[in-house]
Amino acid sequence: MNVPIDSLTLSHFLLTGAVLFVLGLVGFVTRRNLIVMFLCTEMMFQGVVVSMVAFSRFHLNVTGQTFVIFALTIAAAEAALALGLVVLLYRRKRTLDAEAWASMQG
Amino acid sequence: MDYALYIATVIGAAALFMMMPRRGVRTGRIGAILGGATLGGLWLYLSRSFEAGGGASSMAGLGDGATPYYYVFSALAIGSAVRVITHTKPVYAALWFVMVVLASSGLFLVLGAEFMAFAMVIIYGGAILVTYVFVIMLASHAGDPPPEGAASRAGAGPGESPDYDKLAREPAAAVAVGFVLLAVLLNVAFEPMRRNPAAEAPSDAAIVRDVLTERPAGIIAPGAASDAADAAPVLDNAERVGLDLFQSHPLGLELAGVILLVSLVGAVVIARQRADAADGDGGLRGAGGPSGTPLNGGT
Repeated sequence: MNVPIDSLTLSHFLLTGAVLFVLGLVGFVTRRNLIVMFLCTEMMFQGVVVSMVAFSRFHLNVTGQTFVIFALTIAAAEAALALGLVVLLYRRKRTLDAEAWASMQG
Repeated sequence: MDYALYIATVIGAAALFMMMPRRGVRTGRIGAILGGATLGGLWLYLSRSFEAGGGASSMAGLGDGATPYYYVFSALAIGSAVRVITHTKPVYAALWFVMVVLASSGLFLVLGAEFMAFAMVIIYGGAILVTYVFVIMLASHAGDPPPEGAASRAGAGPGESPDYDKLAREPAAAVAVGFVLLAVLLNVAFEPMRRNPAAEAPSDAAIVRDVLTERPAGIIAPGAASDAADAAPVLDNAERVGLDLFQSHPLGLELAGVILLVSLVGAVVIARQRADAADGDGGLRGAGGPSGTPLNGGT
């Protein structure tokens, strides 16, 4: 008895979500450009969103998709504030290098 | 056991490390080939392991022929994500991120979440990414005098990425930690599948027939209604999301509006350039001390 190849499980989508999250995390740690670092946080959001929609579909509970709307709201607010900060920091030092602000680490 | 998952994780980590921008030998091409091969092998393993699973074949299937689209969109998303974190120009990283958004929207279509797919394209691909591209444009180095004391830009000619874009910070440690996390996550995600290989997604028709027999079929899936009497309360995806949003989370909706307003005001306050300070040649650059910062409000 064999299941046809046309069968996806929740694990498939969790794999995609986990890979997107981890790639965003690695990018956040390794990149030194402030803008690209915040782009990587958006990629971590993408991984979480893929997982939430997959849970919503496989558990037949639409609340997962509702929470994606809230995640989108927070992502938009975070992008606006973070990019405002980036513009401010760029005006102060004329560079986007995160290392230029290393004196803030105490 | 799923040693194949761990092997793919380790080889993928090595490939990502090779693709990281570093000084010295260029191994990006080898890393790309290795990463593509790893992804292909992983896809082969996944599709085969589920084919050989055995079990309730009548319950299987997410939709009609959706499986190939999962593999295509997922590979696109992962490959574009790798390019986002390895590209040395921020504009191209942002454009590759648009590709990640589009591919995950395709995944949402596979999952039957049409409203989320279109909202993702409009909000992420349309609004947030335009903001990013604008900030990249505002913060470009074109025409800037070389800053004093910023040694990290030394050696960057016009049209060339500055040093902090071309060199990754601690790539080996970051890749190692990230992929250990990935291995743990995959172990958790695939544990139910390992215990019960027949645990596929039940198809809509099977759920209507076997599990939720007392409910009208149209509530669960619009396509699964068998006869016309069942099909009376047919709701599509957007209607169901809207009903859940406004019936179960009205407080969260109000709070989301407040958060958006606060962040709007906050972004204006943070990024505002004072008119008197902007009259000088350097903008806020020359204004030292706390009284010169724009954060203390108008005085």
